[in-house]
Amino acid sequence: MTQRVQNRTLSTDELNQFGAELDALRARVQADLGEEDARYIRRIVKAVRYTEAAGRVLLFAGAFPPAWILGTLLLGISKILENMELGHNVMHGQYDWMQDPHLNGKTYEWDIVGTSDNWRETHNFRHHTYTNIRGMDEDIGYGLVRLFPEQRWKPGYLFQPIYSILFALLFQWGVAIQNLRLGHVFKGKKTKAQLKQDFIPVGRKIRRQLLKDYVVFPLLAGPFFLPVLLGNLVANGIRNVWTFTIIFCGHFTADAEVFPKSVLENETRAHWYLRQLRGSSNLTGGKLFHIMSGNLSHQIEHHMFPEIPARRYAEMAKEVQEICARYGQHYNTGSIWRQFGQVIGRILRHSLPSKPASRSVQDGVPA
Amino acid sequence: MSSQQRFSFSRLLKSFVAPDVFDFWASKVSPTLAWERTLAKVVDRRVEAKDTVTLVLKSNRRFAGYQPGQHLNVTVEVDGVRLTRSYSPTSIPGNGRRVAITVKRVEGGKVSTQLCTRTQVGDVVELGTAFGEMTLANSSCNKWLFVAGGSGITPLISLVRALAAQGRAKDAVLLYWARTRAELCFGAELKALAEAQQGFQVHVFLTREASLLEGEFSGRPSAEQIEQLVSDLAERTVYTCGPAGFVAAVRSALQEKAGQFKEEAFSLPATVERGEGGGAAESVQVQLAITGRSVTVPVGQPLLKALEEQGIQPAYGCRMGICKTCVCNKTGGTTRDLMTGQTEAEPDQALRLCISSAETDLTLDL
Repeated sequence: MTQRVQNRTLSTDELNQFGAELDALRARVQADLGEEDARYIRRIVKAVRYTEAAGRVLLFAGAFPPAWILGTLLLGISKILENMELGHNVMHGQYDWMQDPHLNGKTYEWDIVGTSDNWRETHNFRHHTYTNIRGMDEDIGYGLVRLFPEQRWKPGYLFQPIYSILFALLFQWGVAIQNLRLGHVFKGKKTKAQLKQDFIPVGRKIRRQLLKDYVVFPLLAGPFFLPVLLGNLVANGIRNVWTFTIIFCGHFTADAEVFPKSVLENETRAHWYLRQLRGSSNLTGGKLFHIMSGNLSHQIEHHMFPEIPARRYAEMAKEVQEICARYGQHYNTGSIWRQFGQVIGRILRHSLPSKPASRSVQDGVPA
Repeated sequence: MSSQQRFSFSRLLKSFVAPDVFDFWASKVSPTLAWERTLAKVVDRRVEAKDTVTLVLKSNRRFAGYQPGQHLNVTVEVDGVRLTRSYSPTSIPGNGRRVAITVKRVEGGKVSTQLCTRTQVGDVVELGTAFGEMTLANSSCNKWLFVAGGSGITPLISLVRALAAQGRAKDAVLLYWARTRAELCFGAELKALAEAQQGFQVHVFLTREASLLEGEFSGRPSAEQIEQLVSDLAERTVYTCGPAGFVAAVRSALQEKAGQFKEEAFSLPATVERGEGGGAAESVQVQLAITGRSVTVPVGQPLLKALEEQGIQPAYGCRMGICKTCVCNKTGGTTRDLMTGQTEAEPDQALRLCISSAETDLTLDL
């Protein structure tokens, strides 16, 4: 495979300047945070609450099919908004500066079976620090899907075009168990006792979520137990498929790169920015689309500035794109159809054995 | 219903409804209804003196009350950021869940400016738990001398009002320093009280007024002047409150002579500048509030590294400011963000230890 994009090799000086420009952009936006950002995130909270309430009320009338469909959609939208634009971003500490106990990155708990504490570790720390580094960023295919020729092929991957669909449908469960590292237990690298210990908070969260969506609300509906239960199930499913799609588009498009561990040796912040750029890909779309993706449509900006409120990424993207152009660095963006098509392409292609194109050390990302 | 039962009911509710969801819908029912937070609505606002406003707050059921002479943390939102400052209730307990605070606008003070000029009746603030030792119960004499400097009048007026309500104002003397007459609070009320309860004395000192009226004094606190006005110092509990310099002057004048002496100084928002060129190896004290430890760390070094070198192991992740694993609450002191170079003196800040350094002594929730 030949490399599809050409990135200019940067000298050390150029690379440092590239990093300094991005640092300056971050500092400028950080200094400007204030009332408007606070009002925005509270509006998102409001949208989450009202869509949830409307969805659940409509589902109580779920014996009437149009009410069931609308209720399920609204509940799905509510869960998407809560998980992405609210939960994901708040848990990054993007709104810590507000000092609002309900929007605190360290204590926020989201509406999904995975615990926030595990997410903060696997995602905020491991995925964001070691983005797309093999053996360190467990988000590369989540140990289930082979997306890059650099991942060792095994016969099981032949079935990934099929089980990836299941994975998308059950995505929240993948998030829930990711930090349990079941693979380590099977390989004997982790004891069963440790697994049991790690499962306690996970089990508690799973029980809470299952009780809420599949016992309490269906029971409240009395005779309409079943339509409510099914509506909740489908709403969770809608959220699962949507988050899977957005997240896979963020790092597994055709031009996204993976890196060996060696890039970490003496990695400067400027190197790190460049790695984030090369490992991430954006999605184009309108304002509503960006909000519904939790602004992860601006994956590149999110990875460069994970602690800046996501509503700022759209304006930052213009500058990041301009900076990348000046330094001759490819800025990976496209419509969701194009980007997700490339993800599907990777899932299909790399289910079969494949070999990385032989290339020298990552251009401009010296080891 | 026993508190045990109420507790388990709230736990049951909690297993299905998250507190933030509850608070959201509760606020639609009543703006101060909340699960665990003490929220209070502004029900009255009046101008007390120049740049000084009294706000009467009506709190929800979470409010645990206060004693005259204590302070209360008040949290308001300014430009999207919740900020907390301590104010003394100027009211006395016993009016339902109402509490009045009197706030003087400080030049450049974010919270005092918000409370004095922008807060309106109907707005909601959050309250903390009352604290402070300057209460009637803590005094060992049964006569008092209250010495107020500027806004230091606020806890002391509450004490005066509490004594007046018990008909014991005659046992108190109030010495009240202000810069100008226009800045005096509660003037008419104090005058009326002096007439109503014989024996209660109030003396006013104005430091920046060109001409004085009858009964007004000038000058800084001095032992001679105070002894002339109050002959029985040894039988009185002296409570003084005001700016740090004022309180220090009162202390040196009265501490030895008073029956009992307690002071409380308020410090203005710390815009502490480090002494420039004061030597290279500067270090500061970091108090760790949870473990009760105290360590010395160098100024300018990332706190995470500095604390690790002292044998403390805070949680951490990326060590480059992105993952927020090391975030801990700073309750006091000034820090510098090593990425932007900005200093931060605001109390109660979520601090990223890996990219922040200490500028002054700090208190951290570690």
